Formats: sequence, C-alpha cells, structure tokens
Amino acid sequence: MIKLKNVSKIYSEDTVAVKNINLHIRPGEFVSIVGQSGTGKTTIARLIIAEEKPTKGKIIIGGWDITDIKNSEVPVLRRQIGVVFQDFKLLPRKTVLENIAFALEVSGAPLKKIKTIIPQVLKVVGLEGKADRFPRQLSGGEQQRVVIARSLVHRPKIILADEPTGNLDAINVREIIDLLLKINKFGTTVVLVTHNPGIVNGLKKRVITLDQGVIISDQKMGRYIL
Amino acid sequence: MFFIALYRIFKFGFQNFWRNFWLSIVTVFILVLTLFSISVVYTLNVVADNAINAIKEKVDIDLFFDPTIPEDKIFAVQAYLESQPDVKAVEYISKEQALESFRAEHQDDPTIQESLSELTENPLPATLVVKAKALEDYSNIVVNLDNSEYSHLISSRNFEDNQVVIDRLSSITDRIYQVGIGVSLIFILVAILVVFNAIRMNIYTQREELGIMRLVGANNIFIRLPFIIESILYALLASILTILILYPLLSAVSPYINNLFEGYDFKMFSYFTANFWNILGLEIIISVVISVISSMIAIGRYLRV
Ligand SMILES: Nc1ncnc2c1ncn2[C@@H]1O[C@H](COP(=O)(O)OP(=O)(O)OP(=O)(O)O)[C@@H](O)[C@H]1O
Ligand SMILES: [Mg+2]
Repeated sequence: MIKLKNVSKIYSEDTVAVKNINLHIRPGEFVSIVGQSGTGKTTIARLIIAEEKPTKGKIIIGGWDITDIKNSEVPVLRRQIGVVFQDFKLLPRKTVLENIAFALEVSGAPLKKIKTIIPQVLKVVGLEGKADRFPRQLSGGEQQRVVIARSLVHRPKIILADEPTGNLDAINVREIIDLLLKINKFGTTVVLVTHNPGIVNGLKKRVITLDQGVIISDQKMGRYIL
Repeated sequence: MFFIALYRIFKFGFQNFWRNFWLSIVTVFILVLTLFSISVVYTLNVVADNAINAIKEKVDIDLFFDPTIPEDKIFAVQAYLESQPDVKAVEYISKEQALESFRAEHQDDPTIQESLSELTENPLPATLVVKAKALEDYSNIVVNLDNSEYSHLISSRNFEDNQVVIDRLSSITDRIYQVGIGVSLIFILVAILVVFNAIRMNIYTQREELGIMRLVGANNIFIRLPFIIESILYALLASILTILILYPLLSAVSPYINNLFEGYDFKMFSYFTANFWNILGLEIIISVVISVISSMIAIGRYLRV
C-alpha cells in the first residue's frame, strides 16, 4: 500500500530530515511511527501525501509511483489518504456538519453524495447528535473525532495521523486510538505518528522507530524502545 | 455536477468579496478611478477628433462670377474643376439661389428684408463652392485654376486656409491627450497593485480554509477560481459604477460641448448613448483584464497548490 525505496529528504546541506528510508506498509496494516522530536516523522508523512517531494528515492502509494507526481494529480492522491494532523484544524465559523461537508464540496461532490456520507462518517466517530455544534462547543477529543470524520469522507484506503492525540488527556487519547483501531478493522491502512509510549505499548502492532532520519528498528509487535 | 461546481465556485468568490468588505470597496473605488480617467481621455479624444473634422469640413473655396458671365461658362468651369483629381465636389449656387438663402438667413431682420424688396436687380454673384479631397489639396487646386484658361472668368475668390487653426488645435488636444494617457497609466498601475494586494490579503485571511482544501484533495479550480471570480466581481462593479457616474456627468457637460460645434452635426451625449454597449463593454474588458491579471499574479505568488 505504501512503499518507500531509498528515500531521502534533504532540506538543506545541514538539515537532512530523512536518509535512505526503506519502508513497506501492506494494505490493512496498523503501523506506528515513533521517534524523538526532529527525527523526520512528520517529514515521512508529508512525503506520503506529496506535500514534499523526495530528494532521492521512490515513493509508491497503492501501486502509483508518486515520486514525480504532477500538481494536477495531487488532489487525486489526497482523496485516497485521509489526513489527521495536529495543526490541521476545524474551521471555527462552520458547524461540525459544515466542516465535513466543506471537504466534500471542494472536491466537487454532488449534493446527494454529501447527504449520504455525512451521517455515515458521523456515526463512525460517534457524533451523530452533535452535527450542528460549532467546534468551540466540543471537547478536544470530540473535535479530533470530527477531524477524523472529515478525513473519512472520501473513503480513503489510508489514514495518516500525525500526533492526533497531541494535547488530549488520557481518556480522550484512548478514545481516539480506539477509533483508529475501529477504522483499521474496516480494512483501512492506518499510519500513526506518535510520541506517546503508552499508546504504542498498548497497541501490540507494528512499530517503526526513527532516529535522526534513519529507521533504527521495525518490529511486528513492537514496543517503544527509546 | 458541472453546475454545482460552478455554483460553489461563485459562492466562494462572493464570500471572498464579503469577507474583506472594506478592502473590496477600496479596490472597487480605485478601479472606478482608473476607468474614469480612461473614460475622460476617451471622451476628450472623441470631442477633439470631431472638432478637427468640423473645422476641416468648413474649409472650401468660393469662386464668384460676374453677373455678365453666362451660366454655360460657369458650367464649363465646374466641369473643369470636377475633372481635377484632387477635387471632391463642386457645388453651383446660382444668383437666385444665393438670394434665396440670403433672404432665409436674414428673415428676422426687417431692415435687410426691406432693402432687399427695394432692389430691382439681384446684387449677389453666382458661386461655385469647391471642396477638395484633402486639406492640403486646396492650394494646388487654386494654383491650377489660376493657370488655366478659366481664370479670367472668375471675379474673385474666397479661400480661408484654416490649417493654422487646425494645427494649433491638434497640438493642444495632443498635449491634453498625452497627459491623460500618462495619468491613466499611473491609475492602471495603482489599480494592478491594489487588486493584487486585495487578493493577497484574502489568500492570507483564508489560509486555514486553503490548507484544509489542499489536504482533503480539493480540485484546483475550487482553490484558485474563487479568487479570479472575486477579481472579476471587482471589475464588473467598477465598470457599472463608472458608467453610473460618467453618463450623468456627460449629459451635464454635453450642452456646453455641443455649443462649440455650432453648424456641425455633433451631439456629444447622443454619441455616448448610441455607443453605450460598446463603451460599457470596453470598460468591462479593461477592468477585467487589469484585475484578472493582477489576481493571477497574486495567486501565482501566494497560493501554493
Ligand atoms: N520545511 C522545512 N524546511 C527545512 N527544514 C525542515 C522543514 N521541515 C522540517 N525540517 C527539519 O527536518 C527535520 C525533521 O523534521 P520533522 O518535522 O520531520 O520531525 P518530527 O520527527 O516530526 O519532529 P516532532 O516529533 O517534533 O514533530 C528537523 O530537523 C526539521 O528542523
Ligand atoms: Mg512532527
């Protein structure tokens, strides 16, 4: 599903974000990427959604070589990957429903499709009753669930979550992780970038550990080893 | 599918306009100033062209004939003149016609009417009115005529060379025109900068929406086109406002301008009403080109896709 072959990203001579990354994530996997701050986790996420182009190497998503993807094709790629970033927020002046609808509107989805998909994704994240609330009327965990709902509107094959639990308390963290696991059960590939050892150790799933831009361990039933 | 996309793009475009309402108003205002200065230059050009034509049209040579000259000799002169390549038209005015029109011209003047009725004989000479094809042909025609066998038939001639007046008028209008174009160019430059800045500000205000759009895989048209629509909206509003200011103003000054054109068929305001759609179209084209170009520059610079 996601293949990185010898990928390096060099921002400038003294900032080599990632170096010679070889990575193969299969369909339906749940993979955590961990590592200290500044080791290139977000860089990998940005490479996968073609927000950045690799300096070296090859990236293949679902059999599609996106290494030299054209600007006009990027939206097609983005609709196959649901993105949950920490700084990728909700629009404060739109309701939950409008926030989710917005993602569909700007992709040219017809009204009928919008009307059927929104209840479905709200149900997945368990926010059916809160469609007409504004983000400020929701808890941090609920807001993040709306973001996840929004990432699901195109029925992506991949969910890419970069620190989705960033500033949430333990209970909300648990809820978000359970939600990601539930989405993974439907067959969606989940890539989770996190700092939180508790989460990783509880998951008992594949863990990839980065250090200074290099993969130092890749374990099937991994633990947080730093 | 196509229409829903179009509807949304327009909706976003209008939202952009409203979101920075005052900035939009200022932008439209600057565009109005630009269009207005261009319109003034254009008006000036129309009036000046017509003024020069009016003067040129008044130029002719009047050839007067003694009463003793029989009509067929005059016709021979007319035929000769008409055969000249640089002559456009030769009009024959007989003694009787001359008297008729003289009477008609002074019909409100009782003393003239009285003295005319006392006359036993028509004092007015027969006339040939010669019009040349071009202004510079007149001297040639006169020289040729003087050297021809017909010269002795002509008792006198009247030729006012208006070239000096025309030259002076052209040089004045040319100067005003140049200044006008200079001012318009400055306005166009300012307008480009102002529209550019308005779109840049709007891109900045919407950075969150734009970020979301990119990450959820919005089509490029949904990201870019609303800003183009917004700039077209500026242009359309500015064109309409300019017309709304320009026409009442033209109608107000029109009588004064028309007075300058006594005896020549030019009605300024009717010119502008007859060409209404052309002028509106021109305003729209100019302002749309200005604002779309500058919004595209802003989009290119500040809107990563
Ligand atoms: N746009 C950029 N331009 C230049 N350098 C960058 C850019 N983005 C990231 N970097 C550098 O690349 C390195 C890796 O950054 P990255 O954001 O991938 O780290 P991270 O593992 O996600 O860290 P954190 O856990 O703090 O989010 C850092 O040294 C960072 O300073
Ligand atoms: Mg990061």
